Amino acid sequence: MKKAFLTSLTLTLSLAVLSSAHAAPPQQPKAPGIESPDYVWEAQSGEEAILLKMKGNAERGKIAYQGCQGCHKPDASGLPDGAYPQLAGQHITVLIKQISDVREGRRDNPKMFPFAGKHVMDTQEVADIAAFLNRLPLPGNNGKGPGSDLARGKALYQKDCVTCHGERGEGNAEKFYPVTKGQHYRYLVRQITAIRDGNRRNANPKMVKVVKRYSTSDISAVADYISRIGPGEKTAK
Amino acid sequence: MNRFLCAILFIFSAGSAGAALPVKGDANKGKAISARACIACHGPDGNGISPPNPDYPKLAAKQPEYLLKQLKDFKAGKRKNDIMSAMVASLSPDDMSNLAVFFAEQKNKPGIVNNPDLLESGKKFFANGNPDLGVPACTGCHQPDGSGTSAYPHLAGQHAAYVYQQLKRFASSERDNDRGLVMQSLALRMTEQEMKAVAEYVASLK
Repeated sequence: MKKAFLTSLTLTLSLAVLSSAHAAPPQQPKAPGIESPDYVWEAQSGEEAILLKMKGNAERGKIAYQGCQGCHKPDASGLPDGAYPQLAGQHITVLIKQISDVREGRRDNPKMFPFAGKHVMDTQEVADIAAFLNRLPLPGNNGKGPGSDLARGKALYQKDCVTCHGERGEGNAEKFYPVTKGQHYRYLVRQITAIRDGNRRNANPKMVKVVKRYSTSDISAVADYISRIGPGEKTAK
Repeated sequence: MNRFLCAILFIFSAGSAGAALPVKGDANKGKAISARACIACHGPDGNGISPPNPDYPKLAAKQPEYLLKQLKDFKAGKRKNDIMSAMVASLSPDDMSNLAVFFAEQKNKPGIVNNPDLLESGKKFFANGNPDLGVPACTGCHQPDGSGTSAYPHLAGQHAAYVYQQLKRFASSERDNDRGLVMQSLALRMTEQEMKAVAEYVASLK
């Protein structure tokens, strides 16, 4: 009952914003995330559940993606300094979950929200963009780390990450575990840190547990190792 | 209750679709209308008047979908401009389609660069945006040569002062007919200097 009221209130206010004389862009909403006592990571929001059942069209997705490529680049390679992640070849399920979480405010991203919110892209476009991105080849030339602690990075990865993210960083589409291979080092550092510290509010609690005791240098080492997992190889050099 | 929510959802989906429908119009009829209604400000071929007046944008080679949307938005009061409101008052839907097709077919003439010292930083911003604040590269939507697509307008060679003025109006929300309010969002994140530089660079594009 309360949820329905809040939903219709949000919709009404958003509509008021859109139809007023000088509409201003909406702010990203803030939905409950990992800090909330009844957080369930696998729970699928309304839009996410719809998206997962939709058929995305990669050709239409290429056109819809024009609105994203100003940051993520035409080949979805993002920026090597990790300001924008590499998205090519990511699992459709993962892309859908992350974009939904940004649109609905479970993953805080005020930088991205104005370009990906529901007031900009409709649900079909999101499905199409996910289909398009999934098919893109790994661009290569991702940002790498300093290369000074790779043995420890490899050891950490084998011990803590392989189970979910795979030997080759290939992730698991069915379980919504992202492809990590080919990702920028600094983006990985930022996300693992945010997951550890509770700032990534749509994080998997299982992963939070795994990285909870990681130091800054642990995170750097494992991120550096991941950034060097080659396209076809089992392990980094 | 359900119907109300459905209506809201429809309005959301209708407002955010990407590509526009192709425009059907008669360029010759458009030329005739332009000769009596548009030529004084936009020039005989939509490349502006002599001496150039940046208050009146160049229209040549712009996408017909974009031109038609602007005309419709002027007519509906969604884009506010006293001169244009008066101009479109007498235009029928067919007139507007014909005009859109006519101007779209015109060849784009080169723009004027008054501040060449801004070109280098303008080019850099156009190609990279600002990753720290989250301004996308303009190239993403408007293409590296500023020619745009059916969803994003052609900009190449536009009057620099007009481009700057529109960026300011987006930033202040005075102009709010941009799809998804995306232009507003990014203009809010730009400095005066960046707006001036990128406007100058846009004027230099062919």
